[in-house]
Amino acid sequence: MSKAIVTPLTQALAEGKLTREELKGFMQRSNGPGLRHLALWVLLLGFTSTLITLAWNSWLIWPAMFAQGVVLVHHFSLQHECVHYTVFRTRWLNDLMGQICGLIIILPHRFFRYEHCDHHTYTQLTGDDPELIPLPRTIGQYLLYLSALPYWRGKFTELFRHAAGRLSAAELRFIPKVEHRAVYRDARRMLAIYAALFLAMALTGWWGLIWYWIIPLFLGEPVMRFVRMTEHVGRPTVAQMSENTRTNLVSAPWRFLCWNMNYHAEHHYVASVPFHALPHLHEKLKDHIFVEPGGYFAAHRDILRQILQDRRQQDAGV
Amino acid sequence: MATEKPWRDVIKATRLEKNWVTRVEIGPRLIALYDTPSGIYASLALCNHGGADLCDGYFDGHVIECPLHQGAFDVRDGTPVSAPATRVMRVFETRVENGMVQVRI
Repeated sequence: MSKAIVTPLTQALAEGKLTREELKGFMQRSNGPGLRHLALWVLLLGFTSTLITLAWNSWLIWPAMFAQGVVLVHHFSLQHECVHYTVFRTRWLNDLMGQICGLIIILPHRFFRYEHCDHHTYTQLTGDDPELIPLPRTIGQYLLYLSALPYWRGKFTELFRHAAGRLSAAELRFIPKVEHRAVYRDARRMLAIYAALFLAMALTGWWGLIWYWIIPLFLGEPVMRFVRMTEHVGRPTVAQMSENTRTNLVSAPWRFLCWNMNYHAEHHYVASVPFHALPHLHEKLKDHIFVEPGGYFAAHRDILRQILQDRRQQDAGV
Repeated sequence: MATEKPWRDVIKATRLEKNWVTRVEIGPRLIALYDTPSGIYASLALCNHGGADLCDGYFDGHVIECPLHQGAFDVRDGTPVSAPATRVMRVFETRVENGMVQVRI
């Protein structure tokens, strides 16, 4: 008998954590929730952009740009959902929105899709998971990660490598050969769009995009690093989904910003469930997954505790 | 001369999950049967990208989506419609005879 690979979903079904009928219900998609969320999203961006405009000639422009940046970097969350086709029922809308988000945060959508698929295959397995963030060994490493400097160094290296027509050994493993040229083309197109935007700003003398988009993006990225650390960092580097992923219970504004990505263990269990159904899936699976009731900050307290504990053990020669 | 593959009874048409995907076994093979607006279609049940069971995936219209990576195929001819699916999915002819879904395999 041909056998399917074992996934968190097949395990959940086999162990009775979820029935087939429940699964079917959770997976149902529609365009309404995504479009409503997106409309509020655009309004929020309009509001933070207005803050920048109002603060233009004062030092308040910096907190305003930071607020804009916090929203901008959360386009990652929307792009992530689009990778899974879980924002809209209409598939091409997910593709279009994913491309737009990728352009905003400098992350080509096709490449991210392939990388992220491998993350779901090898979640939290050292050496295999391309998105694994190792537990920092020191507070210095922890702060360096949060600064987003290593993130941007990695992303720009990746983008220019692809634009130059090269893939790393790990990328060669998860990007099929028929897609190599498309990945190179995407990277070149993204660089060309950014170059065109900078050229247009230079020619017109209007540098507004720097203040409304580029600086806020870099100011906000540490917040996304802070959020992304809470998903897996500090959880065991094992294959068991009930152990290796952390769901963080956060307040409504955070849930809005991250498109319910805080229900991360549920998402890894059943990645086909649309973002708006994840809170319901949480009610079904919460006794079978690792839940951090204290949210992002409690997750970071746990991470810091582990770093300090490791440090003490190293100092004691354990 | 190549002999035509036989039609095999697989399941009563009334037992198919309406507008969804149903898992059946034919000999050593797992087969996915799709109830669609334009009729019943069949394919190998395991995704040709990562080997996950498509019968646990999301099905909408004529598109089956893999539950593991959300790669997707058009069940009418197996065409991949979303990455990371890039290879054509193997599909089989189907018909309904005397209330039984038959697959030529």
